[in-house]
Amino acid sequence: MVKVRDIVALLDAEVLSGESKLDEEVKSVGASDMISDILALTKPGMVVLTGYTYPQVIRSALVTDLLGLIVVRGKNIAPETVAYARENNFLLLRTRGYLYSSCGKIFAMGLRGGDAGKE
Amino acid sequence: MPEKNKLARYAAIFEDITAGDIMSTRIVEISADKKIAHAKELMKIKKISGIPVVDEQRRLVGIISIEDIIHALEFNTINDPIRRIMSTRVVSLRRGDSLAAVVDKFENFKFGRFPVVDEDNRVCGIISKEDILHGILEKFNLIYIHDQKRTCTLNTEYSAITGEKLNAEEADFHYRIDSSDIDAAGTGAAMLKQFLSGKNFHNDIVRRVGVATYEAETNVVIHSKGQGDIFFYQDEDRFIVRVVDNGVGIEDLDKAMKEGYSTAPDHVRERGFGAGMGIANMKRFADKLVIISEKNTGTQVEMIFYLPTQTWPLI
Repeated sequence: MVKVRDIVALLDAEVLSGESKLDEEVKSVGASDMISDILALTKPGMVVLTGYTYPQVIRSALVTDLLGLIVVRGKNIAPETVAYARENNFLLLRTRGYLYSSCGKIFAMGLRGGDAGKE
Repeated sequence: MPEKNKLARYAAIFEDITAGDIMSTRIVEISADKKIAHAKELMKIKKISGIPVVDEQRRLVGIISIEDIIHALEFNTINDPIRRIMSTRVVSLRRGDSLAAVVDKFENFKFGRFPVVDEDNRVCGIISKEDILHGILEKFNLIYIHDQKRTCTLNTEYSAITGEKLNAEEADFHYRIDSSDIDAAGTGAAMLKQFLSGKNFHNDIVRRVGVATYEAETNVVIHSKGQGDIFFYQDEDRFIVRVVDNGVGIEDLDKAMKEGYSTAPDHVRERGFGAGMGIANMKRFADKLVIISEKNTGTQVEMIFYLPTQTWPLI
């Protein structure tokens, strides 16, 4: 079982919001910069890696019960985005790693995507 | 609502369907100069009982049926050209004929199918009874109404899906969409989801309502350039979500339905919108979806979510 905490360590990520979720289990992982894709593909216990930092992304993640978001490439995140995440105790992480590399590391750790079993 | 009114409302909805909408465009036709034997083979291969006959310019000049073939076999004229035995009194439909006119044809003439012709009398499609059924089913899934038909469906208090009365004042949840602020898009859906989360419904249906409403709401913000509202109604066995606006409407709903198609401008795409998945996601997450839109008048999205028939306490 992989916990949020393990991914934080693996990607050397900052926890910007949702500290109370560090011991929750991550069951599935996705990556997208398109809101509609995130909405469509979310599964229970899923975290999504993204380069997308508008407050909108938190709202869509909350609507679809995403476990958390990982912003890649150490991007600047608008204070409103972080504030909105904190207000809702939503798990928001940030890593300096690039999208591809970060995905690769998580995959190597054994976690699969929403299409697991279909590929 | 009395049964009769309901039927009249449905009839008005289907008035919109034309022969061109429901016809099959995989046309089988045959030249009048070919041998009857040719028509016989074609009917055998395509498993059909009649073929429209055309001249050199592909204009409809007749029809040949299985009875004509039997007749030709009986009299040993199977190698004659088709034009000698074909029936020249063809009953055809025009592309723009209404569904009612199409149904009338089927009632008045006992043929299994009718060719559809364009302005030059060229065959552009064929309609069988199955095509009518398909056309109607498709409209049930997605209704696209313009012009005068709008008045009886758009901006009324009646559900376009169930025909029941939905009073804006009686909505269990209402949110006025601020379409001037793109960064606020989705706020209504998030609030609706929060509203439902506190009520002990199954997570799955709450999530489905959230996502589908989010897509409908962001569409209003991104595309409508008008005022919009989200109304939510809770029934014993279902939720109804209506998202209405008075904006520019959807120009081509068939295209808008396609995954990956988007008319979103660049500044909107930068924000992660415009994947062209909006309507596709609504369809995926709602149990029933109807979109009614008219250019420069507005769009009405209505979605139904059925509650699980029985909920057991989680142990």
